[in-house]
Amino acid sequence: MTPPKRNQTLEKPFRGLRVADMAWVGVGPTVSKYLADHGAEVIRVESSTYPEALRRVGPFVDDEPGIDRSGYYANFNSSKLGMSVNLKHPRGPELVKRLVAECDVVTESFTPGTLARFGLDYEQLRQVRPDLLMISMPLYGQTGPWASYMGYGHVLQAASGYNHLTGWPDGPPIGTGIAYTDFLVPHFAAVALIAALDYRRRTGKGQYLDFGQMEAAIHGLGTAILDWTANGHEQSRMGNRDPEAAPHGCYRCKDGKYVVIACFTEKDWERFKAALGRPEWCDLERMRRRWQRLNEQKEIDWHLSMYCAEMRSSTVFRVMQEFGVPCGIVRSPEALQNDPQMRHRKHYWMLKHPVMGDRTYDSPSFKLSKTPAELTKAAPLLGEDNEYVYRDLIGLSEEEFISLLADGAFE
Amino acid sequence: MPLPHPNGPLAGYRVLDFADEKGQLCTRLLAELGADVIKVEPREGDPTRHNGPFFRGEAGPNTSLYWWAMNAGKRSVTCELRLEPGRELARKLAAQADVVVETFPPGRAAEMGLDYRTLSSLNPGVIVVSVTNFGQTGPYRNMLATDIVGSAMGGHMHLNGDPEHGPVRTTAPQAYAQVNAQAAVGATVALYARGVNGGIGQHVDVSMQEAMANAMDNAQQTWDIRQINISGPGIRRNVAGIQGPRYLYETADGWVTCLQIGGLQGLQANVAIDWLAEQGEAGDLDSPEWRTKLSALMPLEEGERTLVEETLARFCRSRKKEELVAEAQRRGFGWAPVFGPREIVESKQLGARDFWVWVRHEDLGESFLYPGPAFRFSETPAMHRGRAPHIGEHNAQVYGELLDLDAADLRRLKMRLVL
Repeated sequence: MTPPKRNQTLEKPFRGLRVADMAWVGVGPTVSKYLADHGAEVIRVESSTYPEALRRVGPFVDDEPGIDRSGYYANFNSSKLGMSVNLKHPRGPELVKRLVAECDVVTESFTPGTLARFGLDYEQLRQVRPDLLMISMPLYGQTGPWASYMGYGHVLQAASGYNHLTGWPDGPPIGTGIAYTDFLVPHFAAVALIAALDYRRRTGKGQYLDFGQMEAAIHGLGTAILDWTANGHEQSRMGNRDPEAAPHGCYRCKDGKYVVIACFTEKDWERFKAALGRPEWCDLERMRRRWQRLNEQKEIDWHLSMYCAEMRSSTVFRVMQEFGVPCGIVRSPEALQNDPQMRHRKHYWMLKHPVMGDRTYDSPSFKLSKTPAELTKAAPLLGEDNEYVYRDLIGLSEEEFISLLADGAFE
Repeated sequence: MPLPHPNGPLAGYRVLDFADEKGQLCTRLLAELGADVIKVEPREGDPTRHNGPFFRGEAGPNTSLYWWAMNAGKRSVTCELRLEPGRELARKLAAQADVVVETFPPGRAAEMGLDYRTLSSLNPGVIVVSVTNFGQTGPYRNMLATDIVGSAMGGHMHLNGDPEHGPVRTTAPQAYAQVNAQAAVGATVALYARGVNGGIGQHVDVSMQEAMANAMDNAQQTWDIRQINISGPGIRRNVAGIQGPRYLYETADGWVTCLQIGGLQGLQANVAIDWLAEQGEAGDLDSPEWRTKLSALMPLEEGERTLVEETLARFCRSRKKEELVAEAQRRGFGWAPVFGPREIVESKQLGARDFWVWVRHEDLGESFLYPGPAFRFSETPAMHRGRAPHIGEHNAQVYGELLDLDAADLRRLKMRLVL
C-alpha cells in the first residue's frame, strides 16, 4: 500500500448506497442523516395523508404552519430526497416494495407489527432484496409487554431514568426540558447500523436489527444501574452537584447569565483558590480535603453565588480558565450560534430551502479529515422527488405514474 | 486471543484505547460489536479507576463501578507514556490497530509521537479518533472542561431546569455520554470509509461541546426562526419556545409523564375525557363546550389550563403509575412512568426482552447484573464480554500476540518501568 498523501480527499463513505427511510420524528431521521451527510442517497418515504409528525410541529417559518415550513423537521433531514406514498392505497405497499428492491438499507420506527400489516416487514422485504439491511427502532423494541406502547422522547426519558436523575433533590423529577432520548439513542442506532453495513460490505450479508430505544438510553445513565445492582444504592437527582466534586455548581452572574464551575481534584481546588484570590473561607481547616468540602457545599455555594453575582459571566469564565479551573457559561441557543468556538468549527450549516429560505442545520460533532460530512441540501419538500423515485428508480411508465398520481397513490 | 465474540459485526477489528471519560464508553460499544479493544493504562492504573461510586463503598483499583461500567469487555495492558520507550511500545501497538481512540489535550499526542500524522506513517490504515472538550483547533481548544462544563457550553443546560432555580445538569453525566456515543459513530463511519477507499485511514476530531449542542432538540431552529431562547420549563413543556402545559403528574406511587395534559388537549381529547368520565372524575370537562374546546385545540386561558391540569392531577394522585400508563396506552395515549434505577432493573419490558446480563467477577466471587448490549442483530449478535480488566491483566497475552515479546522481554520492560 502506498502511503496516503496528507489531507487527501477520498470518496464519500456511503456513496452508492441507497436508503429507504420510513422512520420519523427524531430518532430515525437522525440515524439516516448521518448516512445522507456522508454520501448515501437517503429517500424519506412519507405520506401527505399521514404526515410525519414533525412536519406539523414548529417552529414554522413566519409562524405560519405548513407541511414544508417546520424548522424542527428540516434540521433532521438535510441531504435527503423526499418521496410520498399512501400505504393504504391498494398499490402503495407494492410501490414501496419496488423501491426497497433498489435500496441497500431500510430504516423504520413504526409501532411493531405495522409494517407487517402492509407486507413490508423484513421477512417480506428480503424476498425482493436478499442483502437488505433493515433496522427497526421503536421506543421499546419488537417484543415484550410494552412493545406496542406509544410515546416520544419526552416520556421515554422518564421510563429510562432521566427524569429521576434530573432536577433538584427536594423537587419533582422534572427531567430535561426536551425530548432528550431522541438526541441520545440515534447515535447508538447509527453505530449499530454502520457496523452492520461494514459487515455487509465485507461479506455481502444483510440482516435485521431490532433496536429498542429504551435499551440504548439506559447506557447513558453512567453508574446508576450498577450502583443499584451491585450496591443496592439508588442514585437520584442532585441539582447541579456531583457526588465527587466540590465546588460543583451553576451560579448566576451580574449580567443574568449562568456559569458552571467544577473542582474534582485537589489541584483544581488549589487553582480555584488562587483564581478567587485566596479569600479566608477557602483556607478554613474544614475546606482542606475534598471529602470535607463535600460536606460544606452549602457554604461553598453561598460564597460562589456572592462572588459570581458581582462579576460578568465572561469574566468568571476567563479568570477561572486562566487559573486552570474547569468553568463554562450556560450558552443560550442564541449564544451558541455566536460562540467563537462553534463558529470556528463551522458546526451550523446554512442551507437554502425553497420555502423556508436560509436555515440553520446541525452537523456531526466529529470531523473526518479526509471524508468530512457534507450537508448537500436542505430538507426535502414532501414528495419533492416523486418523479425521480417513481420514474427513474422504480421504472413506472409516464401513463402509470400519472394514473397513480390521479388516483391518490402518492398521497 | 481477544475476548470471545465470534459473530459481532466488528469482529476482527482491533481498537486501542487511550481514553478518559470522553472515550471509554465509545470503545466499550465497539467491544460489544465485536472489536478487540485494548485499554492502555499507566503503570499505576488508569486514573478513572478512582472514579466513584465503589463496590461496597470501598475504593480500590478494581472496585470502581465507573471503571466496571465503562471498560467491560476490554483487555488491559500497561504502558508508561511518560517514558519514550513506552511511547515507542504504544506506537508499535498502534501499528497493528484499526482504530485508536485518544482523549489527550490538543497537541499532547503530537508531543508524544502518538498523533495521527506519526501513527499513519507507520500504519496508513489507522483511524485516530481524538475526543476533546472543544475540538483540536479553535479559540477554546485549550479550555478545561468536565461534564458540567460540556453541558453548559453545549447549550443543553439552558433547556433544563426551571424559571425559579435556573439551569440544571442531569446528574448522570450527559456531555460524556453524548460525546462517547457520537465518537463511536465517527469511528464506524471512518471504518466504512476506509473499506471503500482502498484501506486509507483518517483522523476523526470530535468535540464534546458540539456533541452536546447536537442534543438541543428544536431550540436552535426556534432561535433561528422565532428569535426565542428556550429555557428550562420545569414540570411543563415548551411549545414552539413558549411554556406550555404541565406534563409531569404525581401518582399514588411516584410520577407519570404525559404530553398535552395527558391527551385531554388534542385531537383525542374526547377519548381522554371519556376515560375520566367513566371513573366519575371528569368534572366540568364532561360537557359539550369543553369537549369542543379541547379537541379543537383552541387556545386555553391561564385559568382554563389550570382547571384541566388540576382535573388530571386529581385523577392521577389516587392511582398507581404503571396501571395508569397501561390504561392510557390501551386508550391510545403515549404516557410513561418515571422510573428510577431499581424500577428500570425490575421493568417487565426489559425482563421480557432478556436485556440484563449476569457478569462474573471471579476475583470477588460474585456476579452482578449489567445492562446488556443495546443492539440486537439477526446475523451478527452483539454480546457482553465480561468484566472490566485489572491493571495490565493482558500484558503477556497482548504483547506476546501482537509484538512477539516473551516473558524475559516483559521483565526487562518492567524493570525499566515501562510496564
